[in-house]
Amino acid sequence: MSRERLVIVDGVRTPFTKMGTSLARLNASELGRVAVNALLTKTGIDPGTIDEVIFGCVGQPIDSANVARVIALRAGVPRSVPAVTVSRNCASGCEAITQADQKLAAGCGELFVVGGVESMSQYPLLYRPSAAAKFNRLARAKSLGQKIGAALGFRPGDFSPLIGLKLGLSDPVCGLNMGQTAELIGRENGATRELQDAFALASHQKAAAAAARLADEICPVYLPPKYKSAVTADNGPRAKQSIEALAKLRPVFERGTGTVTAGNASQVSDGAVALLVAGETRAAQLSLEPLGTLAGYAYAGCEPSRMGLGPVYAMNKLEQLSGLGLNDADIIEINEAFAAQVLAVRACAESATFARDELKRDRPLGQVPEAKLNVNGGSIALGHPVGATGARLALTSLLELRRRKAKRALISLCIGGGQGAAMWMER
Amino acid sequence: MNINATTLEDGIRLLTFDRPESSANLFDTATMDELDHHLADIESDRSVRGAVFVSTKKSIFIAGVDLKRFHHSGLTTDDIRRIASVGQRVFNRLAALRVPTVAAIHGACLGGGYEMALACDWRVASDDKRTKIGLPETSIGLLPAWGGSTRLPRLIGLPRALAAILPGKRMAPKQAKRNGLVDQVVPREHLLRVATGKIAQGKPSRPGHWFWNNGLVAKLICLREKPKLLKKTGGHYPALPRTLDVMTSGISRSIDASLKLEADGIIALASSPVCGNLIRIFFLQERAKRLRAGKGSAMKNSDKKNAPAKWAAVIGAGVMGAGIAQWLSARGLDVVLRDIDPKRVGQGMATISKLYHVAVKRRILTKVEGQQGVDRIHPAHNEVPLGNTDIIIEAAVEKLDLKKKIFERLDELAGPETILATNTSALPISEIAQATRHPERVIGIHFFNPVHRMQLVEVVVGKATSPETLARSVQFVQKIGRLPVVVRDRPGFLVNRILMPYLSEASRLFADGAAIPSIDQAMLDFGMPMGPMRLLDEVGLDVGHHVATHLAAEFGDRMPSSGIMQSMLDAGQLGRKSGAGFYDYSAQSKPPVNGAAAMLATGRAAAGLSQEQLQDCMVLPMLNEAARCLEENVVADPEDVDLGMIMGTGFPPFRGGPLRHANAVGLAKIVESLERLAKSAGPQFEPCELLQSMAKAGREFYGDK
Repeated sequence: MSRERLVIVDGVRTPFTKMGTSLARLNASELGRVAVNALLTKTGIDPGTIDEVIFGCVGQPIDSANVARVIALRAGVPRSVPAVTVSRNCASGCEAITQADQKLAAGCGELFVVGGVESMSQYPLLYRPSAAAKFNRLARAKSLGQKIGAALGFRPGDFSPLIGLKLGLSDPVCGLNMGQTAELIGRENGATRELQDAFALASHQKAAAAAARLADEICPVYLPPKYKSAVTADNGPRAKQSIEALAKLRPVFERGTGTVTAGNASQVSDGAVALLVAGETRAAQLSLEPLGTLAGYAYAGCEPSRMGLGPVYAMNKLEQLSGLGLNDADIIEINEAFAAQVLAVRACAESATFARDELKRDRPLGQVPEAKLNVNGGSIALGHPVGATGARLALTSLLELRRRKAKRALISLCIGGGQGAAMWMER
Repeated sequence: MNINATTLEDGIRLLTFDRPESSANLFDTATMDELDHHLADIESDRSVRGAVFVSTKKSIFIAGVDLKRFHHSGLTTDDIRRIASVGQRVFNRLAALRVPTVAAIHGACLGGGYEMALACDWRVASDDKRTKIGLPETSIGLLPAWGGSTRLPRLIGLPRALAAILPGKRMAPKQAKRNGLVDQVVPREHLLRVATGKIAQGKPSRPGHWFWNNGLVAKLICLREKPKLLKKTGGHYPALPRTLDVMTSGISRSIDASLKLEADGIIALASSPVCGNLIRIFFLQERAKRLRAGKGSAMKNSDKKNAPAKWAAVIGAGVMGAGIAQWLSARGLDVVLRDIDPKRVGQGMATISKLYHVAVKRRILTKVEGQQGVDRIHPAHNEVPLGNTDIIIEAAVEKLDLKKKIFERLDELAGPETILATNTSALPISEIAQATRHPERVIGIHFFNPVHRMQLVEVVVGKATSPETLARSVQFVQKIGRLPVVVRDRPGFLVNRILMPYLSEASRLFADGAAIPSIDQAMLDFGMPMGPMRLLDEVGLDVGHHVATHLAAEFGDRMPSSGIMQSMLDAGQLGRKSGAGFYDYSAQSKPPVNGAAAMLATGRAAAGLSQEQLQDCMVLPMLNEAARCLEENVVADPEDVDLGMIMGTGFPPFRGGPLRHANAVGLAKIVESLERLAKSAGPQFEPCELLQSMAKAGREFYGDK
């Protein structure tokens, strides 16, 4: 265990803004560009010395295959530096960090720009395959008769698009969408509507109170095409959110008995995060004060229809790998995909039965104290640009450790498709 | 050997232009002779099936005639006639070859180079950025006289030929194709293959442009265009009407008769002082491009500091700061743009993106290049490390204390090799430098507004500035496509110092009752691009007044800051930015005189002055101050003064700059006029010692060259 740890040298993110609002017109490459551009400016490093750029993104823009490369070039990283886009769905931002660690261990570089980006506003609307086939036929038609014939083949239904966002948030294996998986684990673990709404309210209150602290990690986004006005803050947190207003919202995913609403689920957002990471030796050569290190991580698989419980499995695996458990954490981030899902994670972490049946261990994972959990609010308030969130949790928690002069943060995310991610961030 | 001939397998003669030990091909006497011999050879060799002309140079096909022949005066009328007629004869010979001929153009193909291409049957160009095609002779006061004025209208029709030749356009390949100047544009690698392919097609038959190219229509075009040309140039540039005459009357005559008109035209033009001055400016620019100042250490390429700059920082996102950042980013640098809050940074970003937007709209840049340019800006509203930057240019508000504070911090943030530059237009560099621990790396790099249009940059050497910093700064300025003039750290540096007495005289004349339009018209007629009152409005009277008081404090009554500016400021008439100054800008089009300002002028002394007297009052102080700048070694050479004033203020190029103009007027006469004005209008006109002594000794500026 003498190998070098990965140091998180510095980081910055764009504001996270709700889908269709301030940053809606910026595609993923533009958002990522702004973050990396700001990171290079903030750290003042020579971008020619970067070994690779690794960016997480779930819905890559159709015009920017390998969006990491587009981001790197546009942000001022020289063309000689390679770039790769990674995807582990909701933990893509974590994947970028852990891949840097693996490359470091493998001797494939020691200074990386990593991060995550998502423009959920710009998820495309798609033609159905049946319609696409008809367009194809029309394009290949030669004679006028053929053209008319092909054109007459269209039906009104062909023009109703498939919504990329909806498809992206559905699991093709179990056939459920993410909200339905949250309903499932919520009701199995006693997460009532009231508990969920109360959790959501707390997230907003914490995030709103943390606005000034969060400003430390945010770079302004000057909005094209004029670049004059700057977006400088997240627009998700609602300081005046009331429990009554939350209670009025209708369940989205399950008629009648449902509990998951737009108010107690994560917000669909746009945003990007960029981190400068390096091996310990390389980091020491930079005249910058590092934020902390990546002290361990684990990804674990679970049942796709209960993907929300992923963090429990991942935290269990990480404990086995690192010897550190929930009690060793000064702060804990469990990404708020859904209030129901976080509540279910907590319940399972504390459950002896779950530990025995699912984790094959004799005692539960442990308590997740209120005071340590998502102390600056979570994705319910701040938003969840899926590819970016993992990297944000690393950044936000390291800055919070610094403020608290504390040692360790445990961050975790559930991952659509039935996985969990957990990472130890240390100072 | 400037031209090498080889024969390709299929009997095609390949004539390769490769001027030895030069990056350019030119037409001098020897090259023209060689070409003539090669043509004779082709005529006599029946096995030759065609000829293709190429160049081996990286960025030049043929740059045109060797201008040095015109530059070093002493060319007699007979010399010029001979130069014209030899070129015409050789190109006629080329045009008359029985075999097809192709110019395979890669790189600059200008003037005489394109006239040769015009004498070929086909013209194929590479799509390279370095390929530029056109007949820019009018920009040096001449006209295309090796058949260009004759063959181009016959090729593409009179109107399009006029539109290409009169403004002296240098066209990109696509534009040249669109206008018919070349037949085909292909990637460079395919150039030769496509060119030899044209030989197989034989001689082309081309449309005759019978409608445009007949004598009557040509006459009408001439009648219509000439007054416009004269109005636009104030009649100061004789090459333009002459070219119009030659082309419109030549079109209905035989080729030979038309060529004779060309030759007569160039003989008349080449002997005019305008042409001499314009050619001199060309060489002044070349001189600035090649200038080496400071220590030769900047020539070493071994270490990073001597590599071309990649990262820069601009401090201050105002109009100047943003303008500089935009220019640097357009030239490929990554630029940190720093100001104190996101709002100011955003305003700077907006300025920058607008400049790019306009450049894209005018097709100066492609859309992608415009986006890349904006991408290269790194906005910062917090303090950020600047250790990785090669150069930092401060463009904050003109307050000495503020600048000193900024430089104190920049010193900390910069890397050990970073040049610390200020864009101040008035404050002393040496004093700013004292705020740092590295005054040897502090220098002035003074851009003019608008940055993307003004080619001149004053490089201001402070007391402690090291020769190495100077050398690197000059190279930097050249690298970003600007013309450096090295200036000593004296108040107002060069350009503003010479301009100020001119502007303060203009406002004095106004205060003394001269009408605003008369003042401006006098200088427009002199050839300035804008009248002084209008210029003050554009710059802003607050800025003008600031500089004026600053210089007045340094130079005393030589630059009296007239009370009128203060009265204008008190009345809130700041110029265009406040909606009104000497003119009223509330209406959109031509701004009328601002009645309120006119009321402020109470004097009568200057009310009845003639235009010539007005010009004397404003121009002579400029010449006087220009001489003083030499006297005080603000710059090293008269070349610096003339280039600076032409490129920095638009001093009429056809006059060759203030010192050339002084020579032309006669120094004795200038001293006499200044002494007369000193008695009648004020001591600020007192001629400087240098002028007096030179006049007495009968010497001239540039006299020792």
